[in-house]
This record gives sequence, C-alpha cells and structure tokens, in this order.
Amino acid sequence: MKHKKAQEEIVGFALIMIIVAVILLIFLGFYLSGSQRDTVESYEVESFIQSILQYTTDCEDHLEYIPIQKLIADCVDDETCLDGRRACDALNSTLKNILKESWKIEGDRPLKGYEFTIFAEGEEMLIIKEGNSTNNYKGSDQFLAKKIEVFFTAYY
Amino acid sequence: MAITLFFVLAGMFVLVIKFAGLKESATLLEEENAMLLVTKLANSPEFSCGEAFGSNRINCVDFDKVMMLKENIDKYSKFWGVASIEIRKVFPKSQEICTAINYKDCGVIEVFSKDVNSLPPSSNFVSLCRKESEDGKIYDKCELAKLIVGSEDKR
Repeated sequence: MKHKKAQEEIVGFALIMIIVAVILLIFLGFYLSGSQRDTVESYEVESFIQSILQYTTDCEDHLEYIPIQKLIADCVDDETCLDGRRACDALNSTLKNILKESWKIEGDRPLKGYEFTIFAEGEEMLIIKEGNSTNNYKGSDQFLAKKIEVFFTAYY
Repeated sequence: MAITLFFVLAGMFVLVIKFAGLKESATLLEEENAMLLVTKLANSPEFSCGEAFGSNRINCVDFDKVMMLKENIDKYSKFWGVASIEIRKVFPKSQEICTAINYKDCGVIEVFSKDVNSLPPSSNFVSLCRKESEDGKIYDKCELAKLIVGSEDKR
C-alpha cells in the first residue's frame, strides 16, 4: 500500500510538471509573438548619417558640385559657393530640407522629433531641431576630418 | 504533495529568471536580421557603387546599374531569396516610377516583386548615385534614397 501510494505521488508529480511546462510554453509563445520592431532602428539612424554625408548639394566649387561632407568642411573654413552663397547657408538650407523629407513628424506619426548637430573642434557649429524630445530615442554619430563630429538623434 | 509543490515552484522560479531577457533578445535578433538583409543587398555587386564613385562609399547604390538590373531581373528573381525590392528617393522626392525614359527625374525604382505573401518590409537609407553631365563636365551626383526589401512569409 505504501509503495502504491508512493507511485501515485510520483505520477502526480510528473503530471503536474508536464502540465506546468505546457502552460509555460503556450505563455512563451504568446509573449514572444508580441515582440515588435521599434519605430526607429539603430541601423536606420547610422545609415542615414552615412548616406546624407554623400548627398550632392547644389553648391559648386571650381571643380564640381560638392557633397555635404565637403560642404561641412567648407562651412568650418567659412568658404563660399561659386554662386556667392556662404557654404554655411547652403549647408543649413540643404540639411533642413533633407531632414524634413526624411523624418516626418507631423500629425499622428510615431516619430516625435529629431536633432541634427554638427560640432567643429568641440564647439557647436550647427543645430537643426524639430518636434519634441522624448525618453525613447535612437542616435548615431560620425567623426570626420578637421575634428568635425556629426550627431543625429530621432525621438519616438 | 508539499514536495511536489515545492519542486514546481522552484522550477517556475528558475524558468522565469532564465527567460527574463528572452523577448528583448528576440527583438534584437529580428532587428539584426532585417538590417543584415538590407545591408547585404545594398553592398552586393548588383547594387553597390563599387569603384565607379570612389573607393570609400558606404551604403552606395549605383542608379545606372540598378536600371540595367531591372531590365534583366528575370534571371535574378530567385537569387536573393526575397519577395520584393524597391528603391525610393527620399530627397529630392518624386512619386514617378522609373523607366528608361525618365530615369534621372523619377523617384521609385520597382526592381522586382513576387506574387507571394510577404512580411512587413525592412528598409534602410542609402545613397543613390549616378554619373551626371553638365556643360561637358561629368560628375558624381548622389541623392538620398531608401532601399526597401520585403521578405517572403514562409509560415
């Protein structure tokens, strides 16, 4: 009788373990299937900075239409475009237009704001900020020649 | 009965601790997979600028090459294992579909699209570059675009 009772206990224990394991698996399945991507991914912000630096602006020097990366360096040196515009003015307007099209924040969009900053030798050279800052954000930076640093942060 | 209950509770406690970071890991993996897929395509020989626009361009897609690829896309439909590939110009923006006639001034390149169930697309910013000529001078013109890739839903 004692042995029979012990066997019943063992079977009961095993059954409970199996039931608990099945319930846990079902719960895990629902839990993990709810995983969603963030509104903004880290790689998007990184690739945005890398790509925007290669953008060909309408500011011309004696050789060619220059990309944003070179325009930033020209702005640091207070150069002018061939059409007489200051490099910094061309940079500011080009960046504003690109950021406005690339990161839309109007209405009920998940993106709430962004901030684009350029530092030259540790001093803030240019800042473009739109929308609101939140506690959820993804950011990236790029270091260029002449101690220039470019930072971009997207808030969602 | 008490011993059984004890082991059950102890087991649940261990499992909760072990799986505490699982959701975050799953999300990070999904993000990494999406990023890898788009990056792989953007830097593949069929899309990337290579040496044509200088040797140090990252995330650079050759506009001219993609237009030619589009003409011969039948040979590549099963090559990348994806359901769709599209490139959209972000700036300057245009909704016109790119053809051989309007390709410099257009905004959307539908590289290919399979008639299958697909997952939500992954996208990444790229630099869409081409050779431009003005007053007899040839220069590199790069614009901002998004490479959008749709994966097949094999479930």
